[in-house]
Amino acid sequence: MTSTEMRERTPAAPARRRRRRPSGRRLAPYVFVLPFVALFLAFSVYPLIYTFRLSFTAWSGSGPARWVGWDNYTYLLGSDAFWSSLGNSAVLWLLIVPVQVVVALIAAVLLNNAKLRMRGFYRTVALVPFVTPLVAMAQIWIVVFDSDYGAVNRLLGAVGLPEIDWLTSTVWAKPTLALLFLWKTTGFAIVILLSGLQSIPASVYEAAELDGASRTRQLVSITVLLVRRVVLFLVVMQTLAVFQMFAEPYVVTAGGPYGSTTTAGLYLYEHLGRSDLGTGSANSFLLVALVMLVSLLFVRLLRERD
Amino acid sequence: MKRTQIRRRAVAAAAGLTAVVLAACGPEVSSDAESGAGDTGPADGTLAAPDTDAPAGEITIWDRSGDLYEVFDGVIERFTERYPDIVVHHEAVDIDTKLPNTLIAGADVPDGVFLDDAKVAGLSDHFYDLSAVLEPYLDDIAAQKVDVNTVGGRIYGVPWDLNPGLLYYRADILEEVGIDPASIETYDDLFAAAEQIKAARPDAAPIHLEKEPFLSQLWLEMFASQLGTSLADENGELRLDSPEYRQILGWLDEVNKAGLGTRAEYLGPADLAALESGQQVFVPWAIWWDFAPQQLLPQTTGLWRAMPLPAWTEGGARSGAMGGSSFVIPRDAENPELAWLFYEFLVFDPEGFQAVYGPNAIYPDGLNTSVPSYAPAADPATPLFGPLDALGGQDLWPVAIEAGEQIPGGTPIPQWWAGAVDYLGDNLQRMFDGELTPEQVIAESTEQIQTNLVDRAS
Amino acid sequence: MAVSVIPVRRRDRRRPALGSHVFLIVLTAAFLAPVVWAVLSSLKEPASIITDPLGFDPGTSTLGNYRAMFEDVPIASGFLNTAIVLVLKGGLTLFFAPLAGFAFAKYRFAGQNVIFGAVLLTLMLPTIVLVVPLLLQMRELGWVNTYQALVLPGAVDAFAIFWMRQVIAAVPDELLDAARVDGCGEFRIFVSIVLPVIRPGLAGLAVLTVMNIYNDFVWPVVVTSRESMQTLQVVLATLAQNITGNRIGADFATVWGELLAASSIALIPLLVVFVLLQRHFINGILAGSVKG
Repeated sequence: MTSTEMRERTPAAPARRRRRRPSGRRLAPYVFVLPFVALFLAFSVYPLIYTFRLSFTAWSGSGPARWVGWDNYTYLLGSDAFWSSLGNSAVLWLLIVPVQVVVALIAAVLLNNAKLRMRGFYRTVALVPFVTPLVAMAQIWIVVFDSDYGAVNRLLGAVGLPEIDWLTSTVWAKPTLALLFLWKTTGFAIVILLSGLQSIPASVYEAAELDGASRTRQLVSITVLLVRRVVLFLVVMQTLAVFQMFAEPYVVTAGGPYGSTTTAGLYLYEHLGRSDLGTGSANSFLLVALVMLVSLLFVRLLRERD
Repeated sequence: MKRTQIRRRAVAAAAGLTAVVLAACGPEVSSDAESGAGDTGPADGTLAAPDTDAPAGEITIWDRSGDLYEVFDGVIERFTERYPDIVVHHEAVDIDTKLPNTLIAGADVPDGVFLDDAKVAGLSDHFYDLSAVLEPYLDDIAAQKVDVNTVGGRIYGVPWDLNPGLLYYRADILEEVGIDPASIETYDDLFAAAEQIKAARPDAAPIHLEKEPFLSQLWLEMFASQLGTSLADENGELRLDSPEYRQILGWLDEVNKAGLGTRAEYLGPADLAALESGQQVFVPWAIWWDFAPQQLLPQTTGLWRAMPLPAWTEGGARSGAMGGSSFVIPRDAENPELAWLFYEFLVFDPEGFQAVYGPNAIYPDGLNTSVPSYAPAADPATPLFGPLDALGGQDLWPVAIEAGEQIPGGTPIPQWWAGAVDYLGDNLQRMFDGELTPEQVIAESTEQIQTNLVDRAS
Repeated sequence: MAVSVIPVRRRDRRRPALGSHVFLIVLTAAFLAPVVWAVLSSLKEPASIITDPLGFDPGTSTLGNYRAMFEDVPIASGFLNTAIVLVLKGGLTLFFAPLAGFAFAKYRFAGQNVIFGAVLLTLMLPTIVLVVPLLLQMRELGWVNTYQALVLPGAVDAFAIFWMRQVIAAVPDELLDAARVDGCGEFRIFVSIVLPVIRPGLAGLAVLTVMNIYNDFVWPVVVTSRESMQTLQVVLATLAQNITGNRIGADFATVWGELLAASSIALIPLLVVFVLLQRHFINGILAGSVKG
């Protein structure tokens, strides 16, 4: 990567110049990262320690807390609700990430063609959902997907298809939320992938054509191979985002029906509403551990593919 | 040598720092592992009445936005006439979502809050114990209301309204089909009447079956209250696995399976449509359902009537409590004593309760969505609100007061009641979906509530 | 998708097949439909939103939903709070994230890897897991219902640092060294050399940061209990309660009409900003994201 090249080059700068401003040059990076470090210590490290301690107590937020040892952890690990909140997030991931990668990849490849008419228009429109406020769209989702008066069911009825309980059946509530997420972020995914595609030199394709590779095989074997880092980057970002999904179920379904859209994030938040801060903190820590695990997995994937 | 010394010092400093940070983070942890979290001394957390003749200061009162906010606004006007030195800031707030966060955050905490009875116990750690100030009034307050505000022998809410369950019905349809409402004395009679209506009007599914999990659990508790039971007894022991619940769930299941029920969310669009069209004829619900014919049912307003609920057994109680609210005073309140003065005025002072239930801008004939739980205010002979046009001129006051008197006591609300909705509320809906039998609802809910709520509450 | 299998000499010469256009047009329609539907429906009579959700008759359009909504929903204070947070938090991120990115890209210093590890950790740490302790921390600081509580946690965003490190790494070292020869201090180099050079990336970051802050939800929900401190997203989340609370006995259609009006109003500022700046934004993302 470019940044490592740079880092290797910097110390090789002429010694004379370094001597001229030794302290300034040495101190500068510390000063530059100081704001981040200060905020990191204050608003990430401190709360993390705080949660860790709290996770071994039973506390309602008033009066003294009661030390309960590993109780909160054993409770959560044995609780159906905790596992089903993770399961719901996992199903949402399955409904979102693969679909998004495929659709965005196709769209990005098409948009990468300089001869495409209205290319700029398509690209701009793709980003319109991305710049809409999520909560406003969630409200619109409620109206559009209402089973009795929603536009979507009216449309289905008009073309003779059966109406669907989009938000009130356990089967459809997750796909409907996934659709909101897909709608909102696929445009951004397209642009990210487009940036990866544009860094592929045309000469690579020309070489392939000389070998007689068909267009389809070019797409698959060259494009996918070369943008895999970008794809993987996208997958990591979207995995974190799906895992944190909160506003969509909070506003649209409130976690229902029957908890089928209670995501990992929403379940965590529910402890706050019950004034059960100890269990909530243990839940936080389990999620942190899980995110770290998944992230490590992705990092390993990135390394292996290199 | 020097270097190791420095290193050692650095390690010690780091360890010390970590210890300081760890100790500084988070609440004080009680060393006695067995003592309860809410176990703070009696001196701490018990509210006393103010001892001055000229109380002064500012209080912030939270009420749910909507009709009651407007009603209480009128009461505040009277209150400040009585106590000119008290300034009341009245705020309309989405209490269910805002209150837990605010109590935990401890900032801008209101001095008094209007709260569902079902939620008082769950948050009681954050409220003042009101036993001392309520003492003079206790004998005159409906037993059911005292029960629901009591946790561990202490009372955490000023009991406000009593919400007797009633049977709302379409008088025109009953007359058309030839059913005398007075003949509906038991739930078996109601079932038979529903069948009769269905035979005459094939589109009808006469009995309302609640679809929203929280409300459906509240509704189930109304039926249970009729039988003098509730989810947990005064020791917090779960008592769902009982003949009473078996009878109720069995009846509901039969209604649903026989196609005699309309499953709809309380006053949602589908519910309103089914009420207007005559598909729904019977709504066994708390008194506050009368809001619907007054405000939301323009086509059928005036056609509805109210009567006591049927009894589960012949001669049994003809009403049970459903919902209701009380007023709580958070421990982080700035002026808790003044908040108590306000609620004392609102609930127990004749000028106060007349201002609440008497005519006002929203309810020209008086607030009729509940009745007082304080006996001197709930006199059958002296109605606080007048007859309702929406009920064809029926005088609801005596019906509701008499129903209220029938509500059995001994039905406390456990701290985890609202949390049980994820289990019992959902399982009840699954029964209506046809996924669970009444037996399974009882068995599964009991197991889930026991492990997730009861065992973790103590 | 229809893809021709006939090999061609240069891909740039190829005109896309019909299938490509169909695919893109369907996608475009799907992207636009909800927004267009919401804005048009917000201009209809409430009753017809329910009875005829698919139709739109410009002749009967009305601003009635908007007028009613402004009475019932504290949307103006929501906009104001969001604007204040945007300026403060956005300003912090847009200045300090490139600064930190500069340090990581162009310097070698002891502890660099540890500190960059902290950036990556923050990047992976979901906001939601810190909500409970952060709220308690704000309580200790007395910051609940304040702007500093809305602004400081999460300011100097980790993703922004990560991205800026990537962008600044591409700035030629010669440029920086030349400035040093001229006697420029390190901070001057950042302000007068680095920032101007990375302007496209910075523009992309600006739009992304504005989006993120504008959409921020879970933290504002938790830390603002006072209505006058709520950001636009929090106000939007409780629309239905606000409307039914203020308009007692309002029918369903009225609530929906006002709800759509509020949602449409919330869409407009960002859409306008985006349409004005879209070229910079797209180029910024294209310039700044990870390369294959």
